[in-house]
Amino acid sequence: MHHHDEHGAVDRRTFLRGAVAAGVAVGAVGVGLGVRRALEPEPWDEAAFPPPGDAHVAVLAASSYDADLAGPVEDALRQIGADVRGASVLLKPNLVEFDPGTSINTDPRIVAAAVLAFRRMGAASVTVGEGPGHRRDTMFVVERSGLGDALRAVEAPFVDLNLDAVEPVPLRSRYTRLGELWLPTSVTRADVVVSMPKMKTHHWAGVTLSLKNCFGCVPSRVYGWPKNVLHYHGVQQSILDVAAAVRPDLAIVDGIVAMEGNGPISGEPVPVGAIVVGDDPVATDVVAASIMGVDPAAIAYLDEAARFLGQADPERIDTRGEDPSRLQASLAPAPGFDGAATG
Amino acid sequence: MPATDDLAARRNPDGGYGPVPRAGSEPEPTALAALALDDDAAASWLEAAQGDDGSVGMRAGAVFRDVTAPAVLAMRDPAAQRAGVGWILASRARAEPSTDALPHDPALRGWAWTSDTFGWAEPTAWSVLALRVMGHDGPEVDDGIAVLRDRACVGGGWNYGNRIVLDEELPPFVQTTGIALIALHGLDEPMVATAADRLATIWPHEADGLLSLALAAAALRTIGHRSAAEVARRLGERQAAAADADTIALAWFVIALGDGLERLAVT
Repeated sequence: MHHHDEHGAVDRRTFLRGAVAAGVAVGAVGVGLGVRRALEPEPWDEAAFPPPGDAHVAVLAASSYDADLAGPVEDALRQIGADVRGASVLLKPNLVEFDPGTSINTDPRIVAAAVLAFRRMGAASVTVGEGPGHRRDTMFVVERSGLGDALRAVEAPFVDLNLDAVEPVPLRSRYTRLGELWLPTSVTRADVVVSMPKMKTHHWAGVTLSLKNCFGCVPSRVYGWPKNVLHYHGVQQSILDVAAAVRPDLAIVDGIVAMEGNGPISGEPVPVGAIVVGDDPVATDVVAASIMGVDPAAIAYLDEAARFLGQADPERIDTRGEDPSRLQASLAPAPGFDGAATG
Repeated sequence: MPATDDLAARRNPDGGYGPVPRAGSEPEPTALAALALDDDAAASWLEAAQGDDGSVGMRAGAVFRDVTAPAVLAMRDPAAQRAGVGWILASRARAEPSTDALPHDPALRGWAWTSDTFGWAEPTAWSVLALRVMGHDGPEVDDGIAVLRDRACVGGGWNYGNRIVLDEELPPFVQTTGIALIALHGLDEPMVATAADRLATIWPHEADGLLSLALAAAALRTIGHRSAAEVARRLGERQAAAADADTIALAWFVIALGDGLERLAVT
């Protein structure tokens, strides 16, 4: 039996502990990362990545995109202690492809809601940016997905990260041998980068959440459509290096309607009714994966990211808002990731 | 045409063009603008940017984004073009084994977006086109055409990459289908007619994207498809959107409605 403290925190930690423990037996999803670890136990610069501290995550129950989302998102951001006063904020949604029958992308209504929430919290500017990896015609995806209309309604600018000015960023982690990434200045020069993924399964990575979503910050006009060079360096390894270079400050996961099965494109929509907001991308992804019914420890990049990029220890993730166990789903895993399912 | 003026106004003092207005010059938008405007200054910029090995592209650390094929088509200097062709012939993509997840003909190579990676539909189409326009008809061209045949979607047209991934048939994209059709124009290949008819069906669904619509118009005009006039009419209605578009989309707009296609013709 789970025990509740007055904020429900113990019960939430128990929820996370259960999800993490289930994955220990699953094990070897990330053989490549294991080899990498054997070659260099800690392939990151210690000065750049001090041991992760306590993380704060807020879980919202939200069953519809048509409800007021700006208010709850603002409340969640305040619950985790986000302070964006005077900051330039870049929202990075997941915008990959358009298919009217499914749920590939972060819903435009939650992106617009986040724009309003950050403005209310005193952000100096809020820009939305994405660099789709499949479609060269970004504006087609922006317009057909409804993001264009949603952003015009809140008068928010969109920047195509595939076309933005770029600058070299030396990598402070070494899971790939890239050494540096050329990243858009809208990302590198933003005071606050907010990763806003769709909650979904992914047939190469296991799950797309706030870390994997950072792939969209890698400009395709430099790295191609898709960013094939990243696949050559290993999808899991590249997620780690890209996320470590982007280092999102905040994460807002759209799990109102998630995707299960053969994501990130060909999966099926499934209502989960959750929005997960956090100040640590690893902690946010751990909580979101657990809600999906995916063992975070069985997702190789997420398990590895917990060693240097953020917090995965349930005892050190302060989870507020809705009790995540009440939103527990059991998403069909992506092909090849059956062992990661906790359900 | 106002779009022609809009594009010309984006020329930087160094003769090149950036991916968006007021951005520094880069090879790909410069090549597309040179083709659209028959721009000597842009062609000179590309020739000056060419490496000793004949390549033209962007280098980002260890990664080289290859833009040699469109640059060759835009250059004026025959020696620079020959050097570019030499690079294209020598820089084909990595062959990769076929797998159940990603089935394809493992003997084929095509061309990649970046050095030493797998071949994809668009860069393969550009290299096939450049080689054909430059009069090269060797086995590398046959390989590129075979890659496009191998990757063609079920029902015709091209996705950005494969025909099937993890048992899912991938749908064709208008933009990728457009550039592949331009690359293959004039060939007696069943995939050309099939793709053209598919493009004539799918373009209205992607007409929100100016780049997609412009590629559809350019491709259907190039192969003389019966729907070409209708697509061109729809494109012509988007002058205002073209002014706000990125440089490559704007250049394709000008090419599709102007005489830039002559510079992409295999004679």
